[in-house]
Amino acid sequence: MGSKISRVARAAAMAAAIGLAAACGGGGQPSAAPASGDPAKPVTLTFWSWVPDIQKAVDQFNASHPGVQVNLETITPGPDGGYAKMLAAVKAGNAPDVAQVGYDSLPSFLVNGALQDVTEYAQDDAAKFVGWQWQTGVFGGKVYAIPQASGPMGFYYRKDLFDKWGIAAPKTWDDFAAAAATIRKKDKNAYISTFAANQAPWLISLAQQAGQQWFSTEGDSWKVTIDNPDTRKMAAFWQKLLDDKVLKTEADLSNAWYKDLQTGGIVGWIGGSWGDAIIRGNAPETSGKWAVAPIPQWPDAPAFTSASWGGGSSSAILKGTKNPAAATEFAVWLNSDPQSVNTLLSAGYGWPSAKDTSKVTNLQKDDTVFPFYGGQNIWDVFQQSDAAVALDWRWPPVSDALYATLTDNAKAAVQGQGTLTDAFAKTQQAMVDQLKAKGLSVVTGG
Amino acid sequence: MVSVEAGGGRAGRRDRAGGAGGATTGPAHRVQPATVVVLALLFAAAVYFLLPVVWVLVAATKSTADLFGTFGLWSPRPQLGANLGRLFGTGDGLFGRWVLNSFLYAGLGALAATLLSAAAGYAMAKYPFRGREALFNLVLAGVLVPSTVLALPTYLIFSQAGLTGSFWSVLLPSVVSPFGVYLARIHAHAAIPDALLESARLDGAGEYRIFFRIGLKIMSPALVTIFLFQFIGVWNNYFLPLVMLSDQRLYPVTLGLALWNSQTFRDPAFFELTVTGAAVSALLLVLTMASLQRFWRAGLTAGSVKG
Repeated sequence: MGSKISRVARAAAMAAAIGLAAACGGGGQPSAAPASGDPAKPVTLTFWSWVPDIQKAVDQFNASHPGVQVNLETITPGPDGGYAKMLAAVKAGNAPDVAQVGYDSLPSFLVNGALQDVTEYAQDDAAKFVGWQWQTGVFGGKVYAIPQASGPMGFYYRKDLFDKWGIAAPKTWDDFAAAAATIRKKDKNAYISTFAANQAPWLISLAQQAGQQWFSTEGDSWKVTIDNPDTRKMAAFWQKLLDDKVLKTEADLSNAWYKDLQTGGIVGWIGGSWGDAIIRGNAPETSGKWAVAPIPQWPDAPAFTSASWGGGSSSAILKGTKNPAAATEFAVWLNSDPQSVNTLLSAGYGWPSAKDTSKVTNLQKDDTVFPFYGGQNIWDVFQQSDAAVALDWRWPPVSDALYATLTDNAKAAVQGQGTLTDAFAKTQQAMVDQLKAKGLSVVTGG
Repeated sequence: MVSVEAGGGRAGRRDRAGGAGGATTGPAHRVQPATVVVLALLFAAAVYFLLPVVWVLVAATKSTADLFGTFGLWSPRPQLGANLGRLFGTGDGLFGRWVLNSFLYAGLGALAATLLSAAAGYAMAKYPFRGREALFNLVLAGVLVPSTVLALPTYLIFSQAGLTGSFWSVLLPSVVSPFGVYLARIHAHAAIPDALLESARLDGAGEYRIFFRIGLKIMSPALVTIFLFQFIGVWNNYFLPLVMLSDQRLYPVTLGLALWNSQTFRDPAFFELTVTGAAVSALLLVLTMASLQRFWRAGLTAGSVKG
């Protein structure tokens, strides 16, 4: 694994050199002041995030760290313009010290020279975090970001209806297909789930769970393997369900989808851990009727395997910070201190990256969440799921293009233009072209 | 989206006026089939433009669950009061601040842009100087550059001046309107007779006095148009404040609602807030436009008589 990461590093370094080397230069050397700071002359940090209620966690940090004071500024989420704002701020030399950056966007930030290497301050902190989440902020053995939260997948389903129809929660994808067909026979208005061709991160997580990764580095080249046997197997599976007309094809997280959650038009969802709030908030009258099962498994999987919806989100230390030590200390505290994790968890930020959650009280007992799911401790399912996410999954420096292309191709396939297998093959070609257009060397494989 | 709704309001009003006109001529003539077709088309257009407005107004009275679970144009359990209370109560009255900010950015920005455009357009129309046409062509080129494209370069310049994140970082770029300069020059050229300026000079009036007392008065219809265009432009500008501002309390309402909308992913209760906020801000903009429109029509008539 170590050699794999160093290869990623070389590729990233090369990418930076070919791409936007100019953006990396400049700026004074950050001072190596001691992290905890001097309470009399506190270090002031700026932190950009869009997580609701993260202010509470920041307040807790400020209260317990008189030497470092963090000023939170709430910005619009990265994909809605927040990332453009961050990159502009880095270029202008007035970036915040710490910023919310999705795992899928860290590589493009790195290529843009927007991340600060904080290895010397963070190297002892790896053990505090779930392995695969920590690795998303590490490139070539160098630490650039502290993981915050992920969205491990599980299967939300209407337990009351499954029980009524005599269907057990699917353990394998074959069970899932059988359940999908049975549900169509039991109730002509009900579907097991929608096939969300609009949702690239969801499609990607299904591929991630199927096994082989999509992006890696080989020597100085990016290796693109979207069109691989595992992904083809997954695509063929969903294509058959679509051909059998046992799935809805409406967009998820859409008005129609929310309505179907309320009325029982859709009785299941392969969703991320943060999806509990979406179901609770949009279909409050179905309280007590839901349950969560582990994500269905492929028969050839060597062990229980899961995936994370769109990766997750990190606290990245941005280039230009004058206090990398304090910034790292804050980012590590924010995402690993039990009190902070507890606060963030109740704000619905996702699944914690912190490894030891035994002191996170909201994970042991949650009086708003558990009753909605018939008293089930649904966090057990997601804990197991997060621990079963592959370590070696890597995001490309062109995630935006990947999402757009994959969505277009998957939508076309659902509308009958070609198959899902074609959609992934076409996406593979488009990504190869994208990376080449960025001046990166690319090899393909299958 | 907001400007479309305002446009829908105008279309609706014109449609009613057209209908009334048809009724007065009706008794004298037989109704022509063409009239019926035109009226039907206008009616269809009015419905097309007004439906989203009606939807957002109805949706503003719903809970998040009803928003998706019930028919779009009917609210079975209206709770407008509760929604409004939450809208103005969330985050210490953040929404009220956003609306106020929008009015300040759009109002002050449009006012300053109108004055600057009038002065520049007047000068270009009435004072011959070397490079005048080149300058005017440059301004015309500026009309073609979308403001979104300029947001990032503007940010970098403002950052060097240490102004990013401040109220001024959104206001200052809003006081420039190439389209306004263009319109002001065309209007000044056509509407202000050179003879009038000559006689004012002969009477001993200075150039500033002539501009403020005579030029501005004659140009007033064009100025109202410039003001309205700039007001809508600044109100709807999303990317500039997005890049410039980091303090929520300085956000305009467009950016604020976008922020809330993005939080529905974590907390679906924000749907209510976003939809109610969109309804309130659209209504406010329609009211503003409706009251400013009187000026506009009066101004246009005044211009056509004097010009």
